[in-house]
Amino acid sequence: MTDSSDGRACVLLTLSFEPLAEQIASLRSAVSDLCAPHIAAADELSRLLLATHELLENIVKYSAGGAAEFHLALERAERGLLLRLRTKNRALPERLRDTRQRLDALAAAPDPLAHYDEMIRESAGRHEGSGLGLARILAESEMTLRYQIEREELTIIAEALISERGQP
Amino acid sequence: MSDLTLEANGGGFQAKATLNDSTLSIVFSGSGDLNAIELLADYLKRVHEAATARTISLGHCDFRQLAFMNSSCFKSFVVWIDTVKNAAAPYKIVFLTDPNLHWQRRSLEALRRLAVSIVTIEIAQS
Repeated sequence: MTDSSDGRACVLLTLSFEPLAEQIASLRSAVSDLCAPHIAAADELSRLLLATHELLENIVKYSAGGAAEFHLALERAERGLLLRLRTKNRALPERLRDTRQRLDALAAAPDPLAHYDEMIRESAGRHEGSGLGLARILAESEMTLRYQIEREELTIIAEALISERGQP
Repeated sequence: MSDLTLEANGGGFQAKATLNDSTLSIVFSGSGDLNAIELLADYLKRVHEAATARTISLGHCDFRQLAFMNSSCFKSFVVWIDTVKNAAAPYKIVFLTDPNLHWQRRSLEALRRLAVSIVTIEIAQS
C-alpha cells in the first residue's frame, strides 16, 4: 500500500511509534494545527479530528505490541481535498476477526445510519468496550472505511472528500 | 440551594450535578477520552441512582464545556439512556450543546435517535 503525493499534498504525515494513551490528545492537536489552515469548514475539521481520535485510540487499545503506524494525507483533488487517514498495527487474532466482522457488516448495510443506530442499541449490553469507534468514523465523520489484514497486521483506511479553504 | 451534589473529576474530565426541585442539572467539562471511561460510567450510574431515589423529572446535561467525547464515553450515555428508557418512572434528558463544537451535533443526534421520547437536544445561543 503506497501513498503518493505528486506535489498535491497540503499535509503529509507518517508516524511510526509505540502508541500510548497519553499521546492521543497531542497528536490530535497536531493534526488540527496542520490541517486547519487548508480546510474550509469547521465542521469538516471536526469530522477529521473525531476520526483521528478514534483511529488513534484503536491502535492504543488493540495493538499487540511493537510499533504502529499513523498516516495522514490531505491532498488537492479535482473537487476539493482528499483526506486519507491510515493506521497499521499488529493485532491479536480475535481482534482481527472482530474488526473484519464489524467492517464487513458496515459495508454490507443497505442503510449505514440505521446500522449504526442498531449498533448503538446493542452496545448498551456490551461488557467490553463500545464496539462503536469505527462505525462512528463512518456515520459521524462521514468517511469511507476499508481495511486490509495481512498475517497479524491490521490496516484501516478512512477517506473523505472535503472542501478546501479559499476555493469556490 | 441544591438538595444534592454529585461530582466526578479525573483524567481531564469533570462533571458536577446539582438537584433543584425535580431537575438534576449536570455540567460536563474537559475531555471524555480513554482516561475518563470508568469514571464516567460509574458517575452516570450514581446519577441514575440519585435520580430514581428522588423521583426527578428531568436530567439536564450541559455539554457546552465538553471539548470531546470518545466512543467509549459515548457508550456510557447509551447505557444511561437505555436504563432510563426502561425504568419504571423514566425521566426526560436534555443535552445543551455548543454549536461551535461540531461533534456534539452528530453524536448527540445519535443519542436522541436511541430514545426520541426521552432525549431532547438544545443548542445554546452563541
